[in-house]
This record gives sequence, C-alpha cells and structure tokens, in this order.
Amino acid sequence: MKAPSRLRTPNPHLGAYYAIVTSTFVSLVIVLAMFEQLGWGQALLAQTMMIVPLGLYLLIAASTRTHDVEDFFVSGRRVPPVYNGFVLAAVAVGGVGFVAYTGTIFFLGFDALAIGLGWVLGLLAASILFVPYLRKAGSYTLPGFLGHRFRSPSLRVAASAMQLPPAALLLVAEIKIAALIAAFFLPVSFSIAAILIAALIAAFAILGGMRSLTWTGSAQFLVGAVGLAAVVTTISVLLTNVPAPQLTYGEMFGALQNAEIAAGIAPFGPAEIPNALPGAAPLPALKPFLQAFGFLSPFDFLVLVLSLAFGMAALPSLLVRSGLTPSLAEQRRASAWGLLFVALFVMTAPAMAAFAKLVMFRDIALAPTSSLPAWLGELSQNHLLQAGDANGDGAIGAGELFIGRDAVVFALPSAARLPFVLTVLMATSALAIALAASAAHLFTLAASLAEDLYRVYDQRHTLPQLVAAWAAIAASALAAAVFLIIADLDPLAAALLALAFAGATFFPTLLLAIWWRRFTKWGAMAAMSTGFAVMLIEAIFGGAFGLGRPGISAPLASLIGIVLALAAGIGVSFYLRPPSKIEDDYREEMRDPNGETIYDRAQWRAAAAAAAAPASEAATDQ
Amino acid sequence: MMTEAPANDYPARDRHQIQTLILAVTVLSTLLIAVFLVVTFAASLNQYGFLHFPLGFYLLAQGLLILIVAVAFWFIRMQERIDLARSESEGL
Repeated sequence: MKAPSRLRTPNPHLGAYYAIVTSTFVSLVIVLAMFEQLGWGQALLAQTMMIVPLGLYLLIAASTRTHDVEDFFVSGRRVPPVYNGFVLAAVAVGGVGFVAYTGTIFFLGFDALAIGLGWVLGLLAASILFVPYLRKAGSYTLPGFLGHRFRSPSLRVAASAMQLPPAALLLVAEIKIAALIAAFFLPVSFSIAAILIAALIAAFAILGGMRSLTWTGSAQFLVGAVGLAAVVTTISVLLTNVPAPQLTYGEMFGALQNAEIAAGIAPFGPAEIPNALPGAAPLPALKPFLQAFGFLSPFDFLVLVLSLAFGMAALPSLLVRSGLTPSLAEQRRASAWGLLFVALFVMTAPAMAAFAKLVMFRDIALAPTSSLPAWLGELSQNHLLQAGDANGDGAIGAGELFIGRDAVVFALPSAARLPFVLTVLMATSALAIALAASAAHLFTLAASLAEDLYRVYDQRHTLPQLVAAWAAIAASALAAAVFLIIADLDPLAAALLALAFAGATFFPTLLLAIWWRRFTKWGAMAAMSTGFAVMLIEAIFGGAFGLGRPGISAPLASLIGIVLALAAGIGVSFYLRPPSKIEDDYREEMRDPNGETIYDRAQWRAAAAAAAAPASEAATDQ
Repeated sequence: MMTEAPANDYPARDRHQIQTLILAVTVLSTLLIAVFLVVTFAASLNQYGFLHFPLGFYLLAQGLLILIVAVAFWFIRMQERIDLARSESEGL
C-alpha cells in the first residue's frame, strides 16, 4: 500500500524553502525598522509585523494540505531530524515558556532556574527511555500505543480520557498567551482574539494534520528564534558590547546588585512568601536576582525539577512527534536536536530577565518622581506595568513598581530604549511559538478523541477516519475558545498542572510498558489510574495532601502520584496472570531497533489481506 | 519465540537489551546525581566565580544544560554502536 520507510525521502528543497521563509521575515523586520524611522505609527507597525507572518503560516498550511491518512497523522514519516527538532523545541518551550518562564526568572531569579532545568532533563529522559520505542511501534497517538502494546481497546479508551486534562490545560494556556499578545498589539478584544487564534490553529490542523503542523511549526520556530535572537543580541551589544547574551550577562551582576540595593530589595527566606511562584497579576519584584533559595527551598527546587522532568518526558504532544522521521536512528537525532534548541532558549531566558531587571531598576532607582524615564510612562500607558510613589519619599522603589509576569518580555525592549519595532518583533516571536505549541496540543487532543475514543466505540466507522479527526479538531478548538472567554486561568499554573498530570499518569505506565517484561494490561490500567487519581485529588482539593506549599503543590503531588503508580503497576502485574505471548512478542519487536514500524507492517498486512479477499472485512485499525 | 526464553536462545538480543539498559541507567542516574549535588551545594558553590557568574548559578543556568546536551549526542553514538552490534550478529 505505502512505500517502505527506506524509500521515504524528505523533500530535497526544504532547506531552500525555509531559507526563503526566514529571509522573508528578516526583510520584513528590516523594512519595518526603516518605516518606523520614516514615521509610521505604532499601530500600523504592529499590525504589519504580526499579520504578514500569520499569512505566511496559512499559506504554508494550505500548500501542505493532505487527504492521505499517513500524511495527516504522522506527516508521511519523512520529516528530517532537524525539522522535527525545530517543532519539538517550539512545542516544548511554547508561549508559556517564552513569556511566563522569562517573567518568572525576572521575579524569582535563581529559584526559577528549576523550571528550565526540569524541561531539559525531561526531554533527555524521553529521548532515552521512550522515543526510540514509540518510533518502532509507530502508533499515531500515545493512547493508541498503549492499546496496541497490550492488545486492549479498553486501555486505549482509558488512556485517551486521561490524556484529556494535560492536553486541554496546555491547549488553553497556549491559546491564552497567543490571544493576550494578539489583543495587546492588534485592534481586537481578548475574546475575539481567543476565537481567532483557535480558528487559526484549527485551520492549520484541519488542512493537513501533522503534515501542516510540522511545516508551519518549523516556520514558526524560525520566526521565534530569529526574533528572540535579534532582540536579545541587540540589548546585549548595547549593555556589554558583546553579541553573546548567554556569556556576558554575568558581567552585569555587579551593576544589577547595586541597582537592586538602591531600589530597596533585600534578601529574605522562603517562610515569608505565601505563594512560591508568581501569579499572572502585576507584582513588585522583591527578591534579589542572585539570592539562592529565597522563594523555594532546595527541597522545593528539586521537587520542581523532577516533576517537570517527568511531565516533559511523558508529555503526549511531544511523544506523538516520535513517529515522524524516516527511521529510528533519525528519530533519536531529532530528539537530540529538539533538546539542543530548548537548552539554547533556557540559557537565553535568564539573560533576558537579568537585562530587564537591570535596565528597569537602574533607571528608576532613586530617580526623583518628577523626572522619571520616558519608557516608564510609555509602558504604564500600555498597562504593561504600574508605578507610583506610594510612600511619598520622592522616588519609586522596588515595592512601588508593579509588573505583570507575562509582560516582562515585552517591556524589555522599551525599557532598554530600543525602537518600537523590536517590541513588536518580540511579540511576533512569542506569538509564533505559542501558535506552534497550541496547534500541537490541539492536534494531540483531537486526534486522540477521534482515533482512540470515536473509532474504538463506533466499530462500523460511520465517519471516515479524516472526517472524524476534522470534527474533533473543530470541536476542541471551539471548546477551548469558549472556555477562555468565560473562565480566567493563569497560563503558567495551568502548564505546571498539565505537566504534573502528564508525569503522574503516563510516565510510570510508559516506563514499565517499555522496560519491564512482566508488565500487564491490568498493571498498566492500575498505574495510569493511580497516577491520574492522585492528580485529580490534587487538582480539586490542592495542597498535595497537606505537604506542599501553594504554587508547588501540584509538582509535589505528581511525584507522590508517580511513586504510588509505580507501586500499583508492579503490584497488580505480579498479582494477576503473566502477559500473553502476543504481548511479549510485541514488546520484543518494539525493542528490536531494526526493521519496519510495527503499526505500518500491520497496515500493509491488512491491506494485502483485503486485496486478496475483497469479500472479507479487513480490520484496519489494530 | 518462548515467553520464558532461556538466556542463551537469543544471545544477540539479550546482550543488546542488557547493554541498552546499562547505558540508559548510567546516563540518567549520572545526570540526576549531578543535578542533585549541584542543587544541594549551590549556595556554597556560589562563593566561587566562573565567567563573572557565581558558580552555583552558572551550573544551574548553563553548565548542567550544556552537559545534558553533550550527553544526549554522546548517547546517540553509543546506542547506535550497540544497535549495530546486534544487527551484525543477527546477520541482517
């Protein structure tokens, strides 16, 4: 039916296409930078800078549209490793990472490093423990893999239902970030922006499924990376004369500490803070950047690292991208590329936060309220921050400057007195990454609803495979937009909760399903349900069974859930009958690095059987 | 293929699986221990400087990440060597 994977050759012109995409974007930025000097207004600049790339993504999505099932679900298994790495990195970092992680470092300094470290460690764990085996199995969704591994439709349905909370939370968090940016820079309200963003990512996903998401995602990654690098490098050159922000922001620490002391920031301990992580509402930044373990104790720090690592390792939206490259060896490389790109971002974010803190506090510290810097008025006008001399001492101190966590990234270029075009460039980059991530979460959620719930329940397959997926995508996008309009949520808290859910539910199950021979279907069911139940209790009642502080109780609960789930999975597997020969054979086949993808071979056999006996009904799903 | 296969029925497969397991456990436990040690001693490491950064901050913000990325690419080479040994001895 399909060409064997060794004949799957990627498009040889991809490099040229993406060079064209990147240079188009760079030219746009240069042209707009000139037009700003020629007197274009801020609104016109922002609209041009944001809408032209959106058109470009839509064009790419339309030109990669497909009605082929393999293209729709796994991009034809012919994505080169570097491009898969691009999209993996964009999905892993996401708008939440781009905007909220940087903002969290601004407020927490040293303590926030736990988040980035957890992500990178989790991606490495996934690339070693799960990705090669999921590539060999080749199922289109993560619940589909568990269903095939244990020959169990009920496990598949259960896994699909338990995948809903993490995927849906990440989806709404990413759409919220994208909609906040769009509402801020474009003349639309937040509700309209949320609907437009949801419609846009649904269009990407419906047009070409995973194929469109891969190629729009690569373009979005490049736009995000170019924009971020341009802004941060410019600021680094201005402040340190060296265009390598990651290496040079250490030189700024002396000046930063002086500015902090002048603004009245003093060290304190974890006990004095009610909430360990900053919320989305504007806050004063009161912790010295370099103070180690001010908000989080070393124990909290490790809990956050481990919980995010487990969650990232078992995140369905990343693991479904395991089946996209032509071979298993190339999939390993794709994971390593993704890891490299995420690590580069994680190393850059603290530089952005340190620069933002330095330029803000150096300017306002002890400057008399009568002669405040111009950027402060400009940013207050835009509602990015609020400042006022509350204590009447004639100066604005750290406690009187309120900044939104998710606004720090966009306030940085103005505070560094850069042209407005760089503020919009930063926003366009963040929007691009948020779009790539939200589209990936949308597709993961909807593909699983269509493949693992609808097609398992409706055995007659009334709706064709792709029509079911389109309907699920449209319904999920609509539900996410409606949820965002009626409910308020903190994107960072939602993302942490989603990763905690993913870690507790899927990490123990996948670990045992791939690495332990004796693991059985009921063991998998027990492990998954235990982890999920622990997180559900945490999500409803909070507080990690009375052990956790607000802000990091979900990460702690996920670690508790993982330990209990491992125990439940091992206990139930030993108690009930050993795995059948079919399950054992599947596991051995999955662990053999040679040969074709198991799922594709089953499809070819089914197609051959259908061709040989047209009257008999061929099972196309299992 | 037997469910409870004796170890010497599939020597190449069993050697491959044991080597894969050892490599995975070594890599992950080494990095976890490294992270644990750096977090535990971060406050004391901060008394030393590196590239104008306090050392504890540098390791958490960059040093460990560079180590993880380097290990990820090294892991691919080692794992491919192990996979190659299996396919050669299975005559593929």
